[in-house]
Amino acid sequence: MRWTILLAVLCAACAPRSRAEPGVLVVEEKEQTASFIRNFNPLLEVGDVRWPATHSMYEPLFVYNWETGEYVPWLATGYRWTPDHRGLRLDLRTGVKWSDGTPMTSKDVVFTFELLAKFRALDLRGVWSFVEKVDAPDDHTVDVTFKRVYAPGFYYLVQQPIVAEHVWKDVADPVTWDNPNPIATGPFTEVTTFETQVYQVDRNPYYWQLPDRPRVKAIKFMAFPSNDQANFALVDGEVDWAGSFVPAIDRIFDGRDPEHHKHWFPPIDGGVLMYANTKRAPYGDVRVRKALSMAIDRELIVAVGMYGYTRPADATGLNDAHKRYLDPGAVAAGDWVKHDPARANRLLDEAGLLRGSDGVRRLPDGSRWEVDVEVPAGFTDWVRSTQVIVRGLREVGIDADMKTYDFNAWYDRIQSGEFALSLGWSEPYPTPYGFYRAMMSSETARAIGESSPENWHRFSSSRADELLRALEETLDPATELALTQELERLFVDNAPAIPLFPGPLWGAYNSERFTGFPDEAHPYAPLSPNLEPGALLVLTRLVPR
Amino acid sequence: MKYLARRLAFYLVAAWASITLAFIIPRLMPGDPAQALFARFHGKLKPEAIESLKEAFGFTHESLWSQYGSYLRHVLTGDLGVSVSYFPAKVGDVIATGLVWTLFLTGFAVVISYALGTFLGIVSAWRRRGWIDRTLPPLFVFLGAFPFFWLAMLLLFVFGYTLGWTPVRHAYGDDFTVWSVLTHAALPAITIVIATAGSWMLDMRNTMIGVLGEDYITLAHAKGLHPRRVMLRYAARNALLPNITGFGMALGFVLSGSLLTEIVFSYPGQGYLLIQAVHSLDYPLIQGLFLTITMAVLGANLLVDCVYVWLDPRARGGAK
Repeated sequence: MRWTILLAVLCAACAPRSRAEPGVLVVEEKEQTASFIRNFNPLLEVGDVRWPATHSMYEPLFVYNWETGEYVPWLATGYRWTPDHRGLRLDLRTGVKWSDGTPMTSKDVVFTFELLAKFRALDLRGVWSFVEKVDAPDDHTVDVTFKRVYAPGFYYLVQQPIVAEHVWKDVADPVTWDNPNPIATGPFTEVTTFETQVYQVDRNPYYWQLPDRPRVKAIKFMAFPSNDQANFALVDGEVDWAGSFVPAIDRIFDGRDPEHHKHWFPPIDGGVLMYANTKRAPYGDVRVRKALSMAIDRELIVAVGMYGYTRPADATGLNDAHKRYLDPGAVAAGDWVKHDPARANRLLDEAGLLRGSDGVRRLPDGSRWEVDVEVPAGFTDWVRSTQVIVRGLREVGIDADMKTYDFNAWYDRIQSGEFALSLGWSEPYPTPYGFYRAMMSSETARAIGESSPENWHRFSSSRADELLRALEETLDPATELALTQELERLFVDNAPAIPLFPGPLWGAYNSERFTGFPDEAHPYAPLSPNLEPGALLVLTRLVPR
Repeated sequence: MKYLARRLAFYLVAAWASITLAFIIPRLMPGDPAQALFARFHGKLKPEAIESLKEAFGFTHESLWSQYGSYLRHVLTGDLGVSVSYFPAKVGDVIATGLVWTLFLTGFAVVISYALGTFLGIVSAWRRRGWIDRTLPPLFVFLGAFPFFWLAMLLLFVFGYTLGWTPVRHAYGDDFTVWSVLTHAALPAITIVIATAGSWMLDMRNTMIGVLGEDYITLAHAKGLHPRRVMLRYAARNALLPNITGFGMALGFVLSGSLLTEIVFSYPGQGYLLIQAVHSLDYPLIQGLFLTITMAVLGANLLVDCVYVWLDPRARGGAK
């Protein structure tokens, strides 16, 4: 009897599972941390900046929608290029106010860009590498003059978060300012709670889409030190919207409440590739690179390494965000992504890398072909993928091994070109231009020993340079498509790097408390909360139940 | 007090050595902090922006000696610099978010674990082959052999998740109250106590058994003293000496954090910060954490030395 009383007391005393108030959306903050530091500076996204700063507080001129490939008008309603394509006129939305009630005008836009020019560390998008000047002919028009015709610059220019001149003009050092009480134009700007491990941001009373949107009252964040804790809260129903990797999500999340729990992982993020150092024998030979690729069983990698969350890459290396650029001819010609050990063997024989008596092929200098496939320790999906690769390479007579490095050591080696074979990522770009520039341009290819943030395989092609240059200078969609498809064919012919699979963009939601999330059936925008500023598209559409 | 003066001099040298090591060790790690930073944000910024960022984050190409010089100056003035992974927050502010909680949680847990373990050790040695002596040591050895994080996850799953008795994360709930803080600390603290009490108990039990064989214990019994007085004043006080030294060491480990416990329970603390700092090659933060940890170890040991002098008259008379 006494025990039951004690139990009852204990149960009554214990804290009930904390559920957020109605209308308060719990979002998983992308920065995994045990404690939050109050910093809402939207200009230095690479600092330790809280999620709302760039996702719900400060808004850009247009929001790029990675799912549809459209630029959604946001603080600007439209744009026109001048006839010589060096000038861009942007029409600003009228009636937009900062969260202190002051109207937003073109002066704020000009001020923002001038701030980036003054403090170059804030120019993360490299806007001033192609922009000459930004003026405001009137309160609702902004004119941007380019240094040269540079079409890919549009993306970087219009996605810049705009800050308020009347606040930021008095800030001595905007690079280190933590902007504790933001004045912004976005849907959620009012920081009402800020504790070490939890904070909440309420609706902006002056938001320009009110009274229709947003319907959500506030957004709330909890600190999670690692994926496991975040996933735990998601599965348990404490988080409404999340964007981190969840293993076996069908079973552990969707399966728990099939009606409300959903995930959507479209393969539109940067890809994962095996990089072969083209400046090192024998990987400079295109036949060798194609043979390596044919030795790899991508279906198995996707199943074993990636829980089936993505698809095997095609030979153009493009992800699903670039579907509209895809040349079916190039995809068909890229048969070197098919697992075909027999053909791989033939190609390697042809390249003169014959097997020795021990069954291992010999390199041109007569030594056994031994190679390490490098991978950062702790990237478990990559490690599993590499195990599949190594097995495939051994089948075609290469004495391959996996070698894991501490992340920083791995990153150092791949950037300076010290590796022979290594797994690596590719950056996500809005158009294939950026991807192919990273893969084949002489501007990104550096010598071995010189650190390079892209083009780790160190491949360049003068034809690619011409095509990329032409792409920079065209605003015509038909010409852009033709040039891009020629780049695709060039990539397929040369196999500069060996694509494995496009990266999925993680996104999961729980519709028990809110509806209106995008998913496969309603693909109005990507589901991931980790897109700056793409999350605005979703945040403004959600409706509390 | 010559003994204490000598110890003090020793601690000063040790402090200098640890300050220097805190400077050297991070720089021996492979990789470049600026690149590590860029890697964390790949996809978020144009590779071309990295140069101007390096400048903003204060990555310089100064020689190691001049870096060391300015580092020493800053340490002496208490300025630990700006964290890279939490840019632009100051290292001091970053450490402050976790320090109090680590001190609270692990400090509390270690003291409880020490007191409990030592007491049980005394009792089980005193009542050899009693029920405590027969059941608890094997049980604690069994529990202590579990990996720390595994025990933490098990407790979290059973009591936090399945039964719902305790909160499953964080140091306090939406409201900052004593009750909230205590319920949140209960499970992590119990994990640490379970995992560490066993070794205190065994150590204490073993020394105690040795002490109980001494002649003065027999004498005390013969004098007709109360058994409890013999147990605590005669036997335990002497058996405690080696254990006290161990306690000084353990207090130091407190600050390095029961890292895994903190992560499993999403508890704010030094342990998590340290992992984060090492992972992102955040030199200033690593240095700051090393410093707080080593200073804590040294401070705790100094304290233990003082207690030792009080407990053991032989240490007082060292100079005579």
